[in-house]
This record gives sequence, structure tokens and C-alpha cells, in this order.
Amino acid sequence: MSADDSGSDPATSGCPIDPSRRVVLRGGLAVASSAVAAAGLAGCRDERVARGHALGSTSISQSQPFHGLHQSGIITPTQAAAIAVAFDVVGEGRARLQPMLRKLTERISFLMVGGRMAQRDPKLPPYNSGLLGDDIFPDNLTVTVSIGASLFDQRFGLAAHKPRHLVEMLSFPNDALNAELCDGDVLLQICSNTAETNLHALRDIIKATSGVLNLRWMLEGFLPPHTVQQLGHDSVINLLGFKDGTANPDANSAEKMDEIVWVQANSGEPAWATGGSYQAVRIIRNFVEFWDRTPLQEQERIMGRHKASGAPLGKQREHDPVDFSADPTGAVTPLNAHIRLANPRVPGTRQILRRSFNYSSGFTRAGQLNQGLLFICYQSNLAEGFIAIQRRLDGEPLEEYIKPVGGGFFYALPGVRNASGYLGQGLLDAAAQA
Amino acid sequence: MISTIRYRLVMLSAAGVLALSGCAEQAPSDAPSKDMAASAESPSADAPSADAQVTATPVSDPSTLAAPIAQYKIYVAEQSALAVRDTRRFVEAIKAGKLDEAAALYAPSRQAWERIEPIAELFGDLDASIDARVDDYKGGVDDPNFTGWHRIEYAIFDQKNLKGMAPLADRLLADTQELQTRISDLSFEPSVVIGGPAALIEEVASTKISGEENRYAGTDLWDFRANVDGSQKIVALFRPLIAKANPDLLAEIETNFATVDTALEKYRRGDEWANYVELSDADRSTLKGAITALAEQLAQLRGSLGVD
Repeated sequence: MSADDSGSDPATSGCPIDPSRRVVLRGGLAVASSAVAAAGLAGCRDERVARGHALGSTSISQSQPFHGLHQSGIITPTQAAAIAVAFDVVGEGRARLQPMLRKLTERISFLMVGGRMAQRDPKLPPYNSGLLGDDIFPDNLTVTVSIGASLFDQRFGLAAHKPRHLVEMLSFPNDALNAELCDGDVLLQICSNTAETNLHALRDIIKATSGVLNLRWMLEGFLPPHTVQQLGHDSVINLLGFKDGTANPDANSAEKMDEIVWVQANSGEPAWATGGSYQAVRIIRNFVEFWDRTPLQEQERIMGRHKASGAPLGKQREHDPVDFSADPTGAVTPLNAHIRLANPRVPGTRQILRRSFNYSSGFTRAGQLNQGLLFICYQSNLAEGFIAIQRRLDGEPLEEYIKPVGGGFFYALPGVRNASGYLGQGLLDAAAQA
Repeated sequence: MISTIRYRLVMLSAAGVLALSGCAEQAPSDAPSKDMAASAESPSADAPSADAQVTATPVSDPSTLAAPIAQYKIYVAEQSALAVRDTRRFVEAIKAGKLDEAAALYAPSRQAWERIEPIAELFGDLDASIDARVDDYKGGVDDPNFTGWHRIEYAIFDQKNLKGMAPLADRLLADTQELQTRISDLSFEPSVVIGGPAALIEEVASTKISGEENRYAGTDLWDFRANVDGSQKIVALFRPLIAKANPDLLAEIETNFATVDTALEKYRRGDEWANYVELSDADRSTLKGAITALAEQLAQLRGSLGVD
């Protein structure tokens, strides 16, 4: 985005304290080029931002990088608050997509850095909701953009470029899918330290894309901040009261992530997809009253772990490894225990990276709580990842207590390398050349 | 909602046939799991829970469970035979195109099935084919996988038209007969039977209390009554054992059952039950309270009797 864009959108600004970077346009509105916004922390002498860089900090100035080979919000340590929100693209024709994706890129890259929003003539609606005040702070925000199989239908001429495993989410035997909570052309995974920061980002993006993207479904999720910031020392606890994510692969291992999460070049996927990842989202309601009425030992046998410690059955500590081959009859860990079906721990079992949140959304007509898991996972191969795992889980005893009601399969776009690029550029360029 | 012990049994019933011999022996299956082994041995010598409400007095001799389990097996056989008989009559009305008769037969034909639901639900494939609700299908009423009672219910009470229902009716009868066959081959594990009352009440608490099970016909009070009958039946069969193990728990259960009976009785209409829309807010609230408390109490039955 160049300084000539002055008329196109709400003013954005880089760090207010660095006047050399500020470009003053007509009307006295102070804007900065997106190059400045994208430069992020490096060019900014704002003390708040610098302090917030410390690992483990939950300060509002904590931030994640927008630019890179991959989008943030996938191997980024899980934040305490999330929104999964799906959209339908309005209209047809590939020409509609680039402005939409550029706009998303612009808004997200700004929101993840922060800065001061320009003021507007008060006779007009303000540019910004004001949820974060006038000085927008990042608060560890990531907004990860993924696209659904439906985007590759007849509307936009992208069919030939679809990632090979991307399909509309399958219905598994225990599912009770509500069509109104499923699928979508575009999904945003908005995460940060705080619910308000997420809502601020969502409202900013909605305002910027009005007429272009329509809301399809959304769900807010949360995790306890004190466990999240431990970065792996203490797994989060899900709404069944069990540790969740214990056996997740190490996101700090680039080698593992290249194998498990990131789609590589020359892997049978379209070239534009390199650096992206398949994303499976599942809204899984938990029958919590019923679960809470279930004997503890039965809960533990269903899961395959001790509840309080998170240790696999027969072990002492949460991260104790477990060798199921030493227990072929399931005397220690039942053959149909959740962790055993999900990951039999035999060589060649393909892992996924889970990045889930708890959700709570009122109660049903029967007066029972509606809460559960906003399950999100990433993998380099959807068929061998989530789909294969769920097929192993089909029929598990845990199914009495859970009911998937929504979600979708999406493809998380590759990262944006620099300020001149935009999300999804590779896909649109490939389609233009075809 | 599915019986709590359903999936342990899936592996068992997939291996086929384990007839209850009428004695205490619970023969280990081909695919033994820890809980199956436990039920084959003497109940554990674990220290009773410190919970004041649950004084787990382990049943010292598994054979004391054998008699009520055998009686329950007979009851289930009777109910499943009734289910086949009543379903056949319903199906014949549908195939004869008799809309009014099918409408009148709908609710009563489900009762036997609803009384023994936790046993029926051990067979997940049949359960889905026979009794799934429209919510279970992304495609809604038009989803080709939506079959069974509630798809036919939709035709009768919403569309008021039986066109195209003959094959679905045939399938419902075939599935119900298959269910009867599988049940007759089933080994009735103590944990399944004694967990049955709780499972039935969980059903009521999650769907019948809100009227969403039979949303087109409005006949949830029928199913409610049948679920509670089934639950009370099992408690009655085990009453002496429960009284010995935890008399306070039994008293609470019986008080709550009485509350449910009294509240429901107001809605009896001769041989029938009032349409769900007639249920007053006050009575729904009373029922909901009693059902929720019952769910909590019945959930303690297995532990109270020392059954895994």
C-alpha cells in the first residue's frame, strides 16, 4: 500500500513516536506506509511495545509477527482467548477476491502491530470501535486466514488450484452437524490475550470488508491464562476436567513442524500452497452434566489418562511416555480409550498439531449446559491427519459424552513474505496464469 | 443419548454370542478389557468412597446380582417382542396408507422400545437407523440417511402425507426385528443393567423434558413415561440390594420417582398422554428438578453396589 491510498480506507498509523516515518496527507491525517506498519517492532521506539516482547508476558504490548513464511497463530503458543469466525464471500468472479484479500492483509498486519487510528470528522462514524482506546495495542494478536473447499467451486474459477485433500467437512457417525454452524468460504482464527482484543479485531475486519464478506458462523473460545503462559509446562484443562494437548508435537521443532504441519513444495500440492497447512475445526459439544455424573474410574478409562495428574493410566506423570505394545489386551489402558485410539503410538502414526479452546454458550432447551471444545488442528495432510484420526476414534466410548455439531475443513494460507504481498496472492497469481 | 456402557459391549457383541448362563460367571470375552475382567472377579476391595452419600458396600457375592439380572433379561425380551408386535401394526397402517391410524399408533408403538432404551442403544448402527432425530443430519429432513421413527413422524404429523414412506416403514420393522435378535444373544453385564436407570433418566433430562424427541407429534410425555417406567423397573428389581447398600440413597430415589409420577399423572388422558404443548411451565419445572436430582442419584447405583 502506498501513501497514495489516502482516500481508500481508514487511516492507519505506525508508531506514533517515530515522526520521521509519518507521512502527512490531506486533511492533516497522519498515516504511515504499510512498510512502516510491517516493520513492526524493529522501527518502533515505543517503550510499551519493547517491554511486551518478553516471553511469557501477557502485557498488551506483546505481539506476534505478521510477515513470514507461515502465518502466525499456528505454531504460535496458544493464547488465552479466541474467535473462530467463518464468512461467505459475496458475489462471484475472481476479480472480487484480490481486493478482499488485500484488505484482510492490510487490516490484520496493522492490528497485529498496533498504532494510533486516525480521527475522523465527528459528523461521520468513527473509523474504529474504540474497544482498545485510541492507541491500539497488539495484545499478542494473531489472525490466521484459511479458505474452505467452497471457495473452489464454480464461482471464482479456482477449482483447478484446490489443495488436493481439501473437501467440505465430512460427517462422521457421531456427528449431529448443524448446517448453520458448518463450513464457509473463509475462516478467521482470531486469537489474543483478551476477548476484547479479539472482538476489536473482528469488528475492524467486518467494517473493512462490509459488502464483501458476510458472517456465516462464529464461536468464541477461551483457555485459562495461567496455564497458557506456561508454554507447555502445564497443559490446559478441557471442560471434561482432563488435561488437553499433552501429547501435542513440539511446536519449537522446525523439523517436526515441517513434517507434521507445513505443506512442503513438491508434495503433490499446488505450488501456491507451500507454507500453508490444512486446518480442521470442530465444534464439539460436551454433555457435561452427564460426564460429571460418571464415576471417576470410568471417566479415566474412557480417556486413557488419570484425571488429576494427566498421566497415562498406569503412569505417574502427565508427560510419561506410554508404550501400548506392552499392553496388548488393554488391561491397563482399554483398547478403546481415547488416547489409545487417537494415537496408538506405533511407528508411522501421523501426528497433528492441536490448538483447541474451550467454549461455553448458554444452555439447551432442555436446560442443560451448552459447552465444550472448539477443536482446531493443523496438519500437512488432512486425509492422513485429522480424517484418519477421527476414523480411528469413531465408536469410542467418549462419544456418549460428546457431540460434534459444527466446524469445517479449511486450508490455512501460506504466510505473506513482505509488505508488498498479500494473503492468498500465490493462489490468485496461479489462477490468473492458468 | 447412549447407555454408558455401550461401547464396551460393542466389542463383545461383535464377537457375537455370550449368553448369560444364569449364574454369577461373567465369561471373559475374546477381547477382554480391564472392566470385563473386573466383573468376572470378586468385586474390588477398594476402600469405600469417603463421600458420605455413597457408602459403597461391595456386593460380596456376584451371584446376588444374578437373579435380578436374569429377571431383567426376561423383561427386556418381553419388551422387545412387544416392540416388534407394535411396530408391525404401525408399519401395516402406513403401508395401507391409513394416515389417521398411523398417527394414532405412533406414540403407543414406541413405548416398549423406550422402556428398554439403554439395551437397545448398545447397538449403535440400529439405534441410528431406528431412532435418530433430524438434528443428527446436516441435510435435515431431506438427508437420505434420516430414517426410522422420526422421519416417519415427520411425514405423518408435519407433511400429513404417507407418500414414499412404505420402504422406510419396512426398514423400521426389519431393524426392530434385528434388534430383537441381537438382544436375545446379548450377555447382560451388571454394569449395563445397573447403569440402565441412570441412562434412561439422562435421556429424559436431555431431550424428552424439552419436547424435542417427538417434535412433530408432540408425544414426548409418552416417551417420558416409558423411560421412567424402564428406570423404575430396574430399581425395583435391585431394590433389596440397594436398600442394604445405601438406604438413604434409595429413599431419595423413591421420593423423586414419586414426584415424577405425581406430576406426570396430571397429563394422563385415559389410555393416552397429553400433547407436550399442554405441559405447564410449573410442571415442567417440577419434572426437570426431579429428573435432574434422579440423574445424580441413579448415577451412584453402580458404585453403591460395588459394580464397576
